[in-house]
Amino acid sequence: MTFTRSAAALGVAVALAGTAAGIAGCGSSSPSSSASSAPAKLVVWRMGGSVPSQVTWMNGVVGQFHKQYPQYSKTKVVVDWIPWGNRTTDWTNALTSGKGGPDITELGNTDTPGVASQGALANITSSVHSWSNGSQIIPGNLANDTVNGKVYAVPWFGGVRGIWYNKNQFAAAGITSPPTTWAQLVSDAKALMRKYPGTYGLGAPSDYTNAIVSFIWGAGGQVAVQQNGKWVAELNSPQSQAGIKFYADLYLTNHVSPAKYIGETELGTVGATSGGSNEDFALGKLDMYIDGPWAQSQLAAVSTKNESQWASFPIPSENGPNPAPAFAGGSDLGVWVNSTYKTAAFDLIKVMDSPANATTFANSQGFFPEFTSALSGGAYSGSAIMSGFAKAAAYTQISPLNSKNWATADATDNIIPDMMKALMQGANFTATVNKANTEMQNVLNTGSES
Amino acid sequence: MAQSIRSDHAPRSVPRLSGPGTARERLGTFVRRHKLAPYLLLAPALIGIALVLLWPLAQVAIYSFQNYGLAQITGVLPAQWVGFANFSTTFTDPEFWLSLRNSLLFAIVAVPLTLLVGTIVGLLLNRLGKKMSIFVSTAALLAWATPPVSASVLFYWMFNPDGGIVDWALARMPHWLVGGTDWAGYNWATNGPVQAYTMIAILVVWQAFPFVAVTLLAGLKTIPAELTEAARVDGASPWRVFRRITFPLLKPIYLVLLLLSVIWDFNIFTQSYIIISLGNQNEYNLSMYIYDKAFGFPPSYGLGGALALIFALILLVVTVGYVRASIRQGALT
Repeated sequence: MTFTRSAAALGVAVALAGTAAGIAGCGSSSPSSSASSAPAKLVVWRMGGSVPSQVTWMNGVVGQFHKQYPQYSKTKVVVDWIPWGNRTTDWTNALTSGKGGPDITELGNTDTPGVASQGALANITSSVHSWSNGSQIIPGNLANDTVNGKVYAVPWFGGVRGIWYNKNQFAAAGITSPPTTWAQLVSDAKALMRKYPGTYGLGAPSDYTNAIVSFIWGAGGQVAVQQNGKWVAELNSPQSQAGIKFYADLYLTNHVSPAKYIGETELGTVGATSGGSNEDFALGKLDMYIDGPWAQSQLAAVSTKNESQWASFPIPSENGPNPAPAFAGGSDLGVWVNSTYKTAAFDLIKVMDSPANATTFANSQGFFPEFTSALSGGAYSGSAIMSGFAKAAAYTQISPLNSKNWATADATDNIIPDMMKALMQGANFTATVNKANTEMQNVLNTGSES
Repeated sequence: MAQSIRSDHAPRSVPRLSGPGTARERLGTFVRRHKLAPYLLLAPALIGIALVLLWPLAQVAIYSFQNYGLAQITGVLPAQWVGFANFSTTFTDPEFWLSLRNSLLFAIVAVPLTLLVGTIVGLLLNRLGKKMSIFVSTAALLAWATPPVSASVLFYWMFNPDGGIVDWALARMPHWLVGGTDWAGYNWATNGPVQAYTMIAILVVWQAFPFVAVTLLAGLKTIPAELTEAARVDGASPWRVFRRITFPLLKPIYLVLLLLSVIWDFNIFTQSYIIISLGNQNEYNLSMYIYDKAFGFPPSYGLGGALALIFALILLVVTVGYVRASIRQGALT
């Protein structure tokens, strides 16, 4: 029986070693140098999947970079595509190992304050201040990238979520203009389901904080507000509760969203590459879908059958006529803290984020550039898809999604997704919202739920 | 003078390994007198274990009393001793207790199920003819040999709400048989712990029973045929034969299988990580909870270290129980 004893002991040992090695496998090393010579290559981490038009754009940028900075004419620019769901893992791995990190990384704008406070980004305050185009950036967006007075990233493009729909389907269901109140939104969703049996009217995935906040704000509520330097959560205010209840009821009482989206993000289960509400919309199984204009290339990759009919309108507020404030999403560019060539990296950022290049990029991908000059002038009213989003872009909010502990609140502790999932599964409304409210306030203030 | 002293000391401090040197003999005597030979032979393995196991373990223990995280690695914040803060945070977090409950309930369901199915198949294998027995055990061992990642992905597909075969089949069955649930597009992975762990239990039992069956088969072969024959002649039913003869004789094997299964099933991570995916916190088991706390963003190695220690202690209780039981049975002698 000695064999089995050692087998059991081995079982425990392996279990321990697994956790132990995993936890401890993080030696630290931080190569610090500021070489003045030209780098052989610069690594850029882009988020999402590689799209041909973005590759073409980047090739153009690299050409300009080589021309504008002859000292880097031999520098190779390597773009690595990081799926959004893997970004924090990849950043963490690069930081803990001190190896394999980028020189420049794209960041979601809600990521930047948290990532910067973890020490992942280089302080680029002086570079940004001496950059001629730096002063043209929309000031509020640059403030988002500033932690304790130091600038850690520059805004690259912005985007808002709206509601995608199919113009033909709206016409066939007798909907003459996009809804501007919640009551209209639900009745339109039901009208579409009657006209197209077997489809669902409006997708409401429970793990979709960035859309859920629009409904909280659209009823006049807030996730949390700052008072005397402390966060006060307001998820249980009557207005916030109205928004939360409306979203949950899209599944619970109005049945315009299917059960399978419970526990899913708008792109399906975390880490999955198929089967989300985006795919269902592209296939015509879902009539209305909440997402930003950036979704177009991925939607078209699923099916282009209805692409010519796709259009958008802003997420309505509870009683109209103005849309609900949309979460001001977007991406930033930062210089990685362990980059050997920080000057060269920022020089490349200056080319990527020049007003001309940033505008071309944003326009080609359905984003909005971060320069005040580019947004004014009604450049977007001509496009069916972009006009709705451009309207939504006029009503935006970001707080508290850009607070330092937001990553913990939303990505690690899943406070709003957990709350929404529990509600959709029939949990007691008041108790569930109150619990989420307490957790939210604790995490935003201390970084810990209790 | 100085030279003679040096030459006098040299042989003692540098034992010569060749020739008729006295140093080598003295070393040998020393080793023999203190019975060091086994330890010397064990030393390489012990050093290896210390490096890859004990040192990380010590580090985990150290982290568990610190606020060690990413900011401490990058150096923007200093690592601080926080006493038992990581442990108190853990014990006051309702999600910790929820995930502990999920892990326990899963083990309580999956372990007996594994042993039951394993026993039935083991008994069957014992009855089968040689060719059939080889065929069945090979088929079963293939399930056992499937890597957990592949098996989990396979089950994820089978139970997928978009075209998975399980939902497809359930939706085509009559309502009186499968209930009124809308099975087409039913999301097993995210609909709640019961649904998710039903799926994972089937997967885990399917992968674990062959080991139980084959181990029991080996045990069954050692039971003298006369015993069961005599019982049958006396008119004992098969159930009575199993309860009175087979089971008592195989009890030590059962104990081992039980404890190994508890350790394995309590520990599952691969299956739940792939099938449940991060984000569905009400479905986390303990290993997923640890993973999320330790490696989520921002990572907290302090909290993860504390959790790893708690987890290890829980498993240690199981192991101690096993060792005690084995000693009492004289199985370890």
